[in-house]
Amino acid sequence: MEIALIGNPNTGKTSLFNNLTGSYEYVGNWSGVTVEKKVGVFKNHIGRLIDLPGVYSLNPLSKDEGVVTTYFLEEPVDRLLNILDASQLERNLHLTLQLLEYEKPALIGLNMVDVAANRGIQIDTEKLSQILGVPVVPVVARSGKGCDRLIEVISTNSSHSKVKKHVYYGKEVEDAITKLSIELTGKTDHSPRWLAVQLFEENEYVKNYLSNILETAKLESYISDLHSLLIQDNDHVKSLSNYIYLKRKEVIEKILEASVRKVSTVVPLSEKIDAIVTNRYLGMPIFLICMYLMFMLTFDWLGTPLSDVLDGILTGPVTIGVEKLLGAIHASDFIHALIIEGLIAGVGGVLVFVPQIFILFFFISLLEDSGYMARVALVMDRIMESVGLNGKAFIPMMIGFGCNVPGIMAARTIETPRERLMTILLTPLMSCSARLPVYALFVGAFFVGHKALVVLSLYVLGIVVALVLAKIFTKTLLKSETSLFVIELPPYRLPQIQSLWRSTWDKGKGFVRKAGTFIFAGSVFIWLLSYAGPEGLKVDMDNSFLAAIGNLFAPILEPIGFGTWQAAASLITGFLAKEAIISTMNIIYFVPNDASLQGLLSHYYTPLAAYSFMVFILLYIPCLATTATIYKETGSKKWTMFSILYALFIAYVLCLIIYQGGKLVGLV
Amino acid sequence: MFGSFKVGDKGKIINISKVGRLVQRRLLDLGITEGSEVCVKCVMPFGGPVMIESCGQCIGIRRKEACLIEVERV
Amino acid sequence: MIANIIIGAAIFGYATWALVKFVNKSKKGKCAACDLEKSCSSQSQCGIPSK
Repeated sequence: MEIALIGNPNTGKTSLFNNLTGSYEYVGNWSGVTVEKKVGVFKNHIGRLIDLPGVYSLNPLSKDEGVVTTYFLEEPVDRLLNILDASQLERNLHLTLQLLEYEKPALIGLNMVDVAANRGIQIDTEKLSQILGVPVVPVVARSGKGCDRLIEVISTNSSHSKVKKHVYYGKEVEDAITKLSIELTGKTDHSPRWLAVQLFEENEYVKNYLSNILETAKLESYISDLHSLLIQDNDHVKSLSNYIYLKRKEVIEKILEASVRKVSTVVPLSEKIDAIVTNRYLGMPIFLICMYLMFMLTFDWLGTPLSDVLDGILTGPVTIGVEKLLGAIHASDFIHALIIEGLIAGVGGVLVFVPQIFILFFFISLLEDSGYMARVALVMDRIMESVGLNGKAFIPMMIGFGCNVPGIMAARTIETPRERLMTILLTPLMSCSARLPVYALFVGAFFVGHKALVVLSLYVLGIVVALVLAKIFTKTLLKSETSLFVIELPPYRLPQIQSLWRSTWDKGKGFVRKAGTFIFAGSVFIWLLSYAGPEGLKVDMDNSFLAAIGNLFAPILEPIGFGTWQAAASLITGFLAKEAIISTMNIIYFVPNDASLQGLLSHYYTPLAAYSFMVFILLYIPCLATTATIYKETGSKKWTMFSILYALFIAYVLCLIIYQGGKLVGLV
Repeated sequence: MFGSFKVGDKGKIINISKVGRLVQRRLLDLGITEGSEVCVKCVMPFGGPVMIESCGQCIGIRRKEACLIEVERV
Repeated sequence: MIANIIIGAAIFGYATWALVKFVNKSKKGKCAACDLEKSCSSQSQCGIPSK
């Protein structure tokens, strides 16, 4: 049995999904966290639950909303589980009425009854259930209250709505529906009434679907006939979809009158916080201060000391222990070098940054869970608008700070195709967590006094470059006027420690897992390439295969400050995954015991070259997984190639300016 | 008109049809249409977006679109 | 000697497998640092008409 979970954005569908299936999917406090459908199995195995992106209506505007309509048109839906936000019942019911017209067994989960109660809204669930003709179960998805009862009702109750016609759309529309329904009967599995109403609402997806059954011209004439008929009689009718909306609204007002009681109104705490963080003058500084605090904690106050402790353990007891073990089994030089100089250096070199990565992820989770994300979009909109984007595009970019892949996916919530494409192309410029170890290593070696500030400058540089490029793209490649910005600002929520940890761990574990799989493998092969050369095994590293490969590219990198084969070789591995840069460097610059890589680096880089190198790492290429995601999301080889090439170009030019310019003004 | 509204001012929408089609649709999705009561919560600097409140929910829209919404004070 | 061969084979064997798996997975656009992967069924979205 397939049960579809559907409701307005940010009503807690994914929280409920996690509760009902016992899985853990990405949740957050803004509209559009879920951008594709996800499948889970109910805890008691009664069937599969499909988590869909949030929609306001079945008539989609953006691509994530299109996922839902396509799902309804093309896949077998056995039952619907409609989640309503109890504190926003009026607008939630618009979707409910459309779902009931779909004529499949349905069930309503009334979420956030606690929030509603706090706002003085009391809902008579029995009355609501009676009017709508389907069961209504109150739940609190965040805490899991009411979920057992919900599962019970889903398992046992499978009735269609007892009410046949929820909305009477007026004689003209009803006549047209009946006429179209007759033509459709027997030719489709869906409810003809639902299809007809959606068609009249100008739902393009449904129109496409229907054009496989009837000729497009005929469909058009149905719509235009009805439209002119309505205009004739009622001069206040603006459009067909608006007329249908108003009819639904009338019905909803009646439902609310019968089932909802408003006790009192309190000013929510949310609005008081908003008065500060989205303040005219304070908004932007507060955002920057938040970022700065995040980097101070990650690099100065907390992250670096923890990393140092971890580093001490790995280079001290762990290495000594492994050496002893290898001695005991009389390991050959080859195996000894493979494990100590390859694996421990390569994998260990990445693992020491786990504390910093986790701290960063913790902050991103906090941002996502609290409701601040949408406010940042609001604060940033003016700047984004000036470069041809909108504030919403900032959300994918912020997510991109964790990993570019989900960031690019999040661009689905952006309504206009042009802005969406731009966001997809620019999100890779956001400094993802895999690039963080490189910064940590280099700032530790060259900029000890200003670690957080230097790293913050890189993140800001990524954003600034993205904005400048957006402006250039708007002026040249992607010219268009349309830009849309309407954003829902969810009420603030006090993040729960438990869910915050879940969310942090969930993001962070990928990093740890990758260290055990890809970084492990990469380290082995990189080490082998550095150990073997044209003259056989155990060659001097400067004569190894790795050096030969690196030397091919080194001359190109000379003008930007790091024309060594070592830098070139690590940049190549960085295309597969950015973490690989750091493990490659650890292997190449392998230093036995106490001397650290950080100390050694100063022989190869000047501070200026180091900064140039970090900027190059920040911008030079999207990693393999990101490239593949760009291809999948744009569906265009051309744009994918473009995203790689422009990044290489911009990185090179910018580093050239920084390095040569820096030298000119006397920096070293 | 909405353009002259300051933070804290309340009003009732009387005409929303001058706003762009997509924005109008989105606002409709959020339950904001003719007859809705709105309150300006904050205004971003340099012609940035405004945050308005309507039936308990807060929404951010651009100022130039907000200016196209005809509102009467209440 | 035998221990050397076993360890060497195990490390290289695992490394090859992990590398192949990673590249295949990355090519599909699924990122190991992102947990959409488990139940991600994005193929079904390819057919969505882009407006």
